[in-house]
Amino acid sequence: MRIAHSRRILLAAFVVLSAPIAAHAQDLTASAPVDVSVTVYRDPFRSKGGFDLDNLNGFALITETRRVVLMPGQHRLRFEGVADGIEPASAIVTGLPSGVIEKNRDAALLSPAALVDAAEAQQGRVLLSRTAPNGITTRREGVIRSGAEGGVVFETPDGVEALRCSGLAETVTFESTRTGLSAQPTLSVLTRVNQRIEATVQLSYLARGFDWAADYVVSLSPDGRKLDVGGWITLANGNGTSFPNARVQIVAGRLNRDSGEIEPIDFGRPILARCWPRGSTSDTPDPVYIERAYPLGFEPDRYSSRDYMAMPAPPAAMAMAESKMDDVVVTGARRAKQEDLGDLKLYRVPDRSTVASRQAKQVRLLDSLAVPISRVYDFDLNPNNTIEFQPMEVILRTQNDQASNLGIPLPSGRVSVFETAGSGATSRRLLAGETSLRDLAVNEETEFLLSGGAAVQIRQTTESRQRPDPPPADVKGQTIRTGARFNMIDLVEITNAHPFPIQAEVSVYLADNEELVRADRDPERKNGRPVFRVTVPANESVEFRYQTVEYN
Amino acid sequence: MSIRTILAASCALVALQSAPPAFAQDKALAITIYADDLALVQDKRPVDVTGGRQRIEFAGVSAQIRPETVSLSANGVTIVEQNFDFDLLTPAKLMEKAVGSVVTIVRVNPATGEETREQAEVLATNNGVVLKIGERIEVLRDDGLPVRVIFDKVPENLRSRPTLSVTVDGDRRGSRPATLSYLTSGLGWRADYVALFDDASSKIDVQGWVTLTNSSGTTYDNADTTLVAGSPLRAGGGYQGSQYGRPQRPQLVTAGTETGDRERLGDFYLYPLAERTTIANMQTKQVSFLDVHGVPAKNGYEFRNYWMGTQEEPQSAKTVYRFATGSADGLGDQLPAGVLRFYMRDKQGDPQFIGESTIDHTPMGSTLSVSTGDAFDVKVKPVVEKRERLSSRRWRTTMNYTLSNASPRAVTVALQQDGLWGDTRIQSETMRSTRPNADMAEWQVNVPANGTAELTVVFDSSY
Repeated sequence: MRIAHSRRILLAAFVVLSAPIAAHAQDLTASAPVDVSVTVYRDPFRSKGGFDLDNLNGFALITETRRVVLMPGQHRLRFEGVADGIEPASAIVTGLPSGVIEKNRDAALLSPAALVDAAEAQQGRVLLSRTAPNGITTRREGVIRSGAEGGVVFETPDGVEALRCSGLAETVTFESTRTGLSAQPTLSVLTRVNQRIEATVQLSYLARGFDWAADYVVSLSPDGRKLDVGGWITLANGNGTSFPNARVQIVAGRLNRDSGEIEPIDFGRPILARCWPRGSTSDTPDPVYIERAYPLGFEPDRYSSRDYMAMPAPPAAMAMAESKMDDVVVTGARRAKQEDLGDLKLYRVPDRSTVASRQAKQVRLLDSLAVPISRVYDFDLNPNNTIEFQPMEVILRTQNDQASNLGIPLPSGRVSVFETAGSGATSRRLLAGETSLRDLAVNEETEFLLSGGAAVQIRQTTESRQRPDPPPADVKGQTIRTGARFNMIDLVEITNAHPFPIQAEVSVYLADNEELVRADRDPERKNGRPVFRVTVPANESVEFRYQTVEYN
Repeated sequence: MSIRTILAASCALVALQSAPPAFAQDKALAITIYADDLALVQDKRPVDVTGGRQRIEFAGVSAQIRPETVSLSANGVTIVEQNFDFDLLTPAKLMEKAVGSVVTIVRVNPATGEETREQAEVLATNNGVVLKIGERIEVLRDDGLPVRVIFDKVPENLRSRPTLSVTVDGDRRGSRPATLSYLTSGLGWRADYVALFDDASSKIDVQGWVTLTNSSGTTYDNADTTLVAGSPLRAGGGYQGSQYGRPQRPQLVTAGTETGDRERLGDFYLYPLAERTTIANMQTKQVSFLDVHGVPAKNGYEFRNYWMGTQEEPQSAKTVYRFATGSADGLGDQLPAGVLRFYMRDKQGDPQFIGESTIDHTPMGSTLSVSTGDAFDVKVKPVVEKRERLSSRRWRTTMNYTLSNASPRAVTVALQQDGLWGDTRIQSETMRSTRPNADMAEWQVNVPANGTAELTVVFDSSY
């Protein structure tokens, strides 16, 4: 009796004491954003290709304009509903006349477990409701003594008990939600004003859980000499926050990112009510584990008497991560406008658009028709190495310039190549290959590398490997110096099963102590290496030999 | 009734209820946070000394306290022992500690709701609770029927959160100020800089914020907070290295020799916060410390070839910004370590993020060269044209570098060839080089707008 009495007085003291603190800084919530701008940056550690919707490693710069009315005094101005991937350290708040005293972001959100923690920390009164199997509910006032490690211990005038360990339906009702926690991710700033003002405040911050990639669709003309390139920007928002009616920009190019780990938002936990050991005399010892078989229609949840209460539900954050993003929205074909942003490229989505939570969205990047290409079959060889027949790779090569109907920066991304099979009424457009593109500046050589079919094959046979003793004489102008260890001849064969001639390019990767001294054909040079450019006639094969020397 | 009276009344009643005196609300916290997950907490509050031996409990200390660093000082008080109880109060622990003692069990009749009370002794809690009721031995809730267990009290050293208690010997009765100080991890800070680069005037506006993070499990109310720029920790391991195994590009071009007017602690600068602040658990807090406008900054390009090798595809040069931290034409302050984020206005005038970089503690008067990322339009392609073996320990390498610039303005690229190990001399070059160190040669190559430039160099290396 006396204990209960003392608590009530203490509680009164608390309320009176906390009043002046509340007057010190008044909580004030800024309006919902009246304008939002979202600039999406791609994963800085991905050099080419696309992204994984369930693991978005890019980020975005979000700039929100909000309205606020401030009365004289000190205020804790709250911006509710920021992205849950917010990097709090990057937040910038402008538009407050007297500036910002401090900025805060709490990582913890309001949740059942947060209520228990707050009730425990403040020793606030809670109401315990207990319902017996016959449906009669009794209520008892008490305090929560501990919510540690998922178990709840409470005290009532009866004594000390543990929540939901009796087998009776038990719950706690909280007096108030004085947790100081928000329901949504929130950033708050402390500011002080001397007179009433109406301000338009801009909040900008970087947020994780975004990404974008370029997706190119390339269609080869029937004669194989030209292609049409269509490009999409695919951007995705993996956050739980949507940005309605936003100005959307995309930035291409690789940026340095050095921020490291951020404290993720804690979506809280359910009240787990873990109990003491619950073994019974009917328990099978652990090592002998027999999976229970349930009859059809049996719901183990409803009938299992002992175990299910202790089973933790999946935390909210986990459940969220498991939900898939299968929402791909295509927004028309008005093209994004490109401009330079320092040494990066910025693309502006033409109309305002909603970047919804857990959504991927596509915007047209470019359309270039009739880009002339050369189709080259490519292979890299090491001398002194016998390889059996292998299909050669296909490169569709063009130049990123105006003469080729391109001449625009091409951000890295995935490329799908389509070709038309058959002709006339039976012709179909089919996927011929998939590849990726790196960031290509204007005037760069542009190559789409595809895996070739079986029609064009290459084989190299090392025909002889001799120790030159005495050293061989000069070979075709090249002097073989003394100290040569091996003198090798490799035979290269290229076969073409196509009914048209093909261009083949064979690069020879020489080690530092190797030299090419003679060949049936004159090699050109590319990237510092000899390259044989060979035309293989329709349905024929071509062979040539080259000689290399290896020094000690 | 005044607040004071109520408080006094409630305190008196609390004292009756539990033996160790609880502290009053008017404690004064002072926190000094170092840059590497270390903080010194000084907790000043009046303590009621009873005279003789007594236990004083400090609730609300950091959950990540380093108990060996705790010290309590108060006049006329001798410390007998200090305990840090980290056994948490959970239902399982409550039952475990009840082994050998008597609890009340309440059986509830499922049909009528009628309660039957019995006294039971807890015998064991191993994989199930074994009770002795009278002369019977029973397993708690073996039949699955509802049974409440009521404990008389919570065992003394079980807490809802880790708690520090100190047993002291006081000379006389009375209230007096005491200071508790300890080190804790879970509190840290670093600087965050926002730099807005203006392309037209080649100037930056820089704002600096200190960013405090608290993951120590405790909220520090109304604390007087000081930040120390530097890490006093020498004990224990730790390594410094770049993320990718490559040497980090040096950012500090010249180390400054100017002294700032901030308060110092030994070799470290102090950043006291202007106002007392509450550092909540799981909170990230930022307070401004620097705001400078119109500092000259130079935008340039840098490319480093790490060894004398060929790049199959052209590689982007790095975008680099260079600025000073001195009082003349610079930021005019020493910079605590942190992340520097660069922004630039787009064609519509909105600031957009263009990259970031960490910087180390930087003295005032330094010159910094900070890279923000890759330049989309400026690329370099190094190619080994020829590698000749002159003898078993001597090689001649002919390198060709093609620099391309797709932007509509001329640029200068600082082209660096690293990996010049051994005695490597430049036999010939189409442009004059400098040699920043024995391992590296550097050329300042001008690349015209929408054009290319070539550089050919022959290296003669003896190993």
